[in-house]
Amino acid sequence: MYNGGNMQKLKLEEVSSGYGTEEIIHKISLKLTEPSIYVVLGPNGAGKTTLFRTISGILKPFSGKVTLDEINLFNSKEARRRIAYLSHLNALPEEMTVFNALKYYADIEGGDVEYTLDLLKLSELRDKKFSSLSQGQKKRVSVGKIFLRERDLYLLDEPTSNVDPKISKEIRELLIELSKNKFVLYSSHNLYEAREIGKYLIVIKNGELKFFDKIENVKTKQYRVGIKTLNDISSYLNAKVENGYFVFTVENPTEVAKIVKDLVDHGAEIIELRELDNPLQEFFEE
Amino acid sequence: MKFWKVTMKRSVKLSRTYFGLGIMFTIYGIVLSSLMTIFPPDVAPPSPVDLASNFPFLSVALLSMSGVFFSLPVVMLFVYDKNNGVLEYLLSTGLDQIDIFKGYVKASLVLAVYLLSFAVILNTAVGAFLGTGFNLLIIIAVLTVAIGVSEVFLVTVCMVAFSSLQKTPMGANQPAGVIIGIIPMFPALILPIIFPTHAITIDLFVAAITIVASLALLLSVGRLILREKLLP
Repeated sequence: MYNGGNMQKLKLEEVSSGYGTEEIIHKISLKLTEPSIYVVLGPNGAGKTTLFRTISGILKPFSGKVTLDEINLFNSKEARRRIAYLSHLNALPEEMTVFNALKYYADIEGGDVEYTLDLLKLSELRDKKFSSLSQGQKKRVSVGKIFLRERDLYLLDEPTSNVDPKISKEIRELLIELSKNKFVLYSSHNLYEAREIGKYLIVIKNGELKFFDKIENVKTKQYRVGIKTLNDISSYLNAKVENGYFVFTVENPTEVAKIVKDLVDHGAEIIELRELDNPLQEFFEE
Repeated sequence: MKFWKVTMKRSVKLSRTYFGLGIMFTIYGIVLSSLMTIFPPDVAPPSPVDLASNFPFLSVALLSMSGVFFSLPVVMLFVYDKNNGVLEYLLSTGLDQIDIFKGYVKASLVLAVYLLSFAVILNTAVGAFLGTGFNLLIIIAVLTVAIGVSEVFLVTVCMVAFSSLQKTPMGANQPAGVIIGIIPMFPALILPIIFPTHAITIDLFVAAITIVASLALLLSVGRLILREKLLP
């Protein structure tokens, strides 16, 4: 894995952007100063892809500016070369073999194809035609192209969509490793995945920035907790039964430990305890 | 390997049909070029048109058109890459739209030069074998390359521009690029028949104007068409 990042700061100042005359994102300001995974959440059509395209310098902001270490990204080829952008499309020549498809980009922008094949465990696919691969395999190869050479900022638009859980986990592990010294912006619809890998959360809704903070600081009004037991605990726990779970709500997760202790003291044989709702869920609600 | 070289190779692999069409036009061109040698006209002057002198010039049209056919796959590849997200990724790697346009145009031109050279060499060899006048063969060769290359240049730039600007995918606007691109070919073919004594000058002038216009169009397109137009 790559070592040492040079990037200090990505800054968006009142950035509005879109296509033609249609403004999709409105006056977004962000300042990213710590190498980490920043999960970008938002419903479909919220403006996540437009945000990524604007940061990568493909779209010119209608107003405001995007700077990477104080360099205007739209105007600087050099600054743009420090960014890797993985769109939701595979963006690889379908008619080529996996090796040649990656080499196509390596020839244009530089990079190490063999290293990438090893890193993404693609060696067994190297001589297969890209068009003959399954959707999941295509996604893996597509992700591979952003690892051809080292960059400072990685913009990943749903990198684990269409990928099976095992590969998905491997990609997430790669990104977690990468984020130790690189900036990774990661858009996802998967709230559990977002919570698992993200340190920061950026929420976009209707083209506006609704939330930007550490995920651990996401506060929720109440937590719903489900408990599955071998015996009936309804007499000493005020809970509704939903899908085999005794469900109760607390205002703070720290209350759960005390409730569980009380239940065990009353003879409850607990076989499962889970948080039923994801706190990030509320960002998707109207 | 450079971007335009890879593009050229990909084009050759992707669309063999157009190469077949190009070769067919080349063969027609060679036959037409040698027709007056094989079957000398018995029309004695003063006829309205000096067929013996001018008829072979028609082969320039077919040989030049073969160049256009040879280069069409490059522009088809442009649309394919645009719809696939390849152009979007290339933009994100730091390339500008003009870099991308230039890459495809260069691939198209180099491919056309290779194949037009093959066509004129073949035509010259067949003509020499059949006994066509050497001067005429040289003139056909020079005019074919000049008009062919300028046509390919204009057609490619027009097609790339129209394909970028269209809102719906699938490259539906590409034919407009071909039609606009081949318009300058008509004066290059008709005027020499009307003014036979200035045939070479007229054709070279039309070719030069077309090249300058194509270059100006390419530079304008690179500035006027936004990066977002290359998005899928």
